[in-house]
Amino acid sequence: MAHFEIRDLSFSYASAKGRLSLEHVSFSVERGEYIVLCGRSGSGKTTLLKQLKPVLAPAGKRSGEVLFNGVSVKQLSERDQAAKIGYVMQNPDDQIVTDKVWHELAFGLESLGCDQKTMRARVAEMACYFGIQDWFHRDVANLSGGQKQLLNLASIMAMQPEMLILDEPTSQLDPIAASDFLNTVRKINLELGTTVLITEHRLEDIFPHADRAVVMDGGRIIADDIPRNIGKLLYEQENPMFTAMPTPVRVFYGARGEGRCPLTVREGRSWLSEAFPAPPRLTSLPEEPLEEDIPDPALTMKELWFRYEKDSPDILRGVSGEVPAGSLCAIVGGNGAGKSTALKAICGINRPYRGKIKVFGKPVEKYKSAELFNHCLSMLPQDPKSLFVKKTVREDLEEMNKDKARVQEIAELCQITALLDSHPYDLSGGEQQRAALAKVLLTEPRLLLLDEPTKGIDSFFKETFAQILAELKQKGITIVMVSHDVEFCARYADRVSMFFDGQILTTDTPQRFFGGNSFYTTAANRMSRHVFSHAVTAENVIDLYRRNMEDEG
Amino acid sequence: MKREENDAFSRCHPAVGFVFFVGAIGLGAMILHPAYILASGIFAVSYYCLLRGAKGLKLVALSIPVFLFLTFANPLVNHDGQRVLTHVFGKPYTLEALIYGMVIAGMLVVMLLWAGCYNAVMTSDKFMTLFGGVIPTISMLLLMVLRLVPNMIRKIKQLAGARKCIGRGAGENATRREKITDSLNVISALMTWALEGGVITADSMRSRGYGTDKRTTFQLHALRRQDAALLIWMGLLAAAIIALIAGGGTAADYTPVMNITPVAGRRVWGFAAYCLFLSLPTVLYVKEAVQWRISRFGI
Repeated sequence: MAHFEIRDLSFSYASAKGRLSLEHVSFSVERGEYIVLCGRSGSGKTTLLKQLKPVLAPAGKRSGEVLFNGVSVKQLSERDQAAKIGYVMQNPDDQIVTDKVWHELAFGLESLGCDQKTMRARVAEMACYFGIQDWFHRDVANLSGGQKQLLNLASIMAMQPEMLILDEPTSQLDPIAASDFLNTVRKINLELGTTVLITEHRLEDIFPHADRAVVMDGGRIIADDIPRNIGKLLYEQENPMFTAMPTPVRVFYGARGEGRCPLTVREGRSWLSEAFPAPPRLTSLPEEPLEEDIPDPALTMKELWFRYEKDSPDILRGVSGEVPAGSLCAIVGGNGAGKSTALKAICGINRPYRGKIKVFGKPVEKYKSAELFNHCLSMLPQDPKSLFVKKTVREDLEEMNKDKARVQEIAELCQITALLDSHPYDLSGGEQQRAALAKVLLTEPRLLLLDEPTKGIDSFFKETFAQILAELKQKGITIVMVSHDVEFCARYADRVSMFFDGQILTTDTPQRFFGGNSFYTTAANRMSRHVFSHAVTAENVIDLYRRNMEDEG
Repeated sequence: MKREENDAFSRCHPAVGFVFFVGAIGLGAMILHPAYILASGIFAVSYYCLLRGAKGLKLVALSIPVFLFLTFANPLVNHDGQRVLTHVFGKPYTLEALIYGMVIAGMLVVMLLWAGCYNAVMTSDKFMTLFGGVIPTISMLLLMVLRLVPNMIRKIKQLAGARKCIGRGAGENATRREKITDSLNVISALMTWALEGGVITADSMRSRGYGTDKRTTFQLHALRRQDAALLIWMGLLAAAIIALIAGGGTAADYTPVMNITPVAGRRVWGFAAYCLFLSLPTVLYVKEAVQWRISRFGI
């Protein structure tokens, strides 16, 4: 008997006037399976997941059946739903109910009316399993995003559910925290046998380990197979979902490789080794050198030192660097290295106690606030929601500029014309990001600062976003972005700088920057570095592979 | 704010802390006798400084001007008393009223210090441990509301920061009207944000079975023998003090005629009980420090 069985499920939201969000969905999940549900944003993944736990299901019309252990989920009591089906949501903050870590861990058990002895045992057990004992007594407000999401997972696992449903759990986390989290989920699946159904944008980490991948598009299931076959199927269908596949899969099909499709970097390396038993003739693509001296830099930072309080440690410890006008510069680096603090220093929110910042050759403190933020400098914050204050996107944009034609123009550039009359909070993550960008662009900046612009965005929106950035660059706008997303930086940035220990350590072109690193680099580089040098994107590897193969053929 | 339970009294069961503070503040409010207020003040200052270290002295220093102000202000509104010192605005300024002011001000400042100690010791989770079982819904609600406030403040800061970086939001030379419009914008955004978050929190609660059964409360703190002993000890002392108060042993009148019961005879025992009660946190602290040294260095 299947653990979960979905039979011919259709659903339309009460507000959607009959438009189906799920159309005749059928699939089943066996006990102990690890299943990845993928699809672009808005394809109905979350809608489907919520149907599996009726207390979370939104109002609307539904037909078909969802069976849990052979019984319709609607017949499950709320108590059984809570205890047996665990559900982790996207936002780490809002899911937390109490103010202390230990209390949050116990919350579910308290609700189920567990007795002290069981509760103590379970809480202790979970704290150890998830490595929470060191922060067991802390306030939840002081935890990092990754710790919060781990806490959410642990507090659900304390109820010992049979089934774990995760809805894009890592979209708000940085890559290192995300991969920690996903490893923990996998550990739970392997060691406790809990059935896992997960949706994710970051397929790189989980796709190779999944038992099956289910692909959704427009409310329908378009594929349901083992991961290795899914790549092939999507490639043959020319489905846009293909761009979300792990790098080895994209390289393999993009290069029209032969043999078995690699899923992991390790498999990718052996595939390349087999394809090139002898070193290939062409091992690197032509590169442009890094311009060392920059005439009229858009931004100059000299020896910036900053700390939050008088006796707190320095966050910025001598940041220096120059950004050439009209380029896209990426600053990468670990969590808490001070990247965002540096951006805020440029904006004047954090005043460095030593050092100089020049924007277009003029010291930043010489600007008047109105002058600096008009036609000069603007920043897109990490959470795009913090820019929205009105009821519709249009009103929000018109707050910046009364000129309707200009608003329309920018909306077209950011591809949000269809969304102008929606409430900003009803947009998806990628749409919010573009609407916020539109709002920022209406200040007509010449220097644009972006703080983690690709966080929580799926691969299609990333491409659209990159197009928009390219258009801005053509118009001569200088862009500085802080990011964890090495793949994005490798592909689109002109210069990449490494931020570490409160300073910028190195700056180089993406090819040489990532090509020189062995760990802090892209998957494409890790899989190809033994054959090609300085191939940092999937496109680079495909290009080199094809050129060498043509020579041979 | 970082709160660490690093002293012996804070580590006791929450019931011990709660009973102590009810006693210290409740009994303190019933006694207007200067000797008792002084004793209470000494122990409040000593424990507060042990808890907060050098930062504790700040509040103590701050309370001195409050104390002085109230002391000298009282005779301005209260003109009773026999020994007239001078006339202010044509009204008598009497010694009795001055002393009465000093006593009232002292009591107020001492209560303030005890409240500061309460804040540091009785964290919200301790409160939940005590009352979560008795009034689960209300204490849960209280906890969530308390969590909401700092969250809101964080979000206001985030919104204001984000707006500043796009040149919106009231800058240094904005007019009052602009400032008001801007705050309204921020507040309305904050409300939407909070509602949005609230829906998710509610989902998260329901999804973890909130309201499906009678709630139990996780007891982080177990009641140990020492806690029980302390509770009994405090009960005995409190009974002695209440008997003393009921017998008029702490009576003190100031106006119109000053009449303070001396601490003498059997009343000394009552005063001692009061001091023993209030010194409990300090004594536990010192006792622990001494024990630690002995166990560590064998002295």
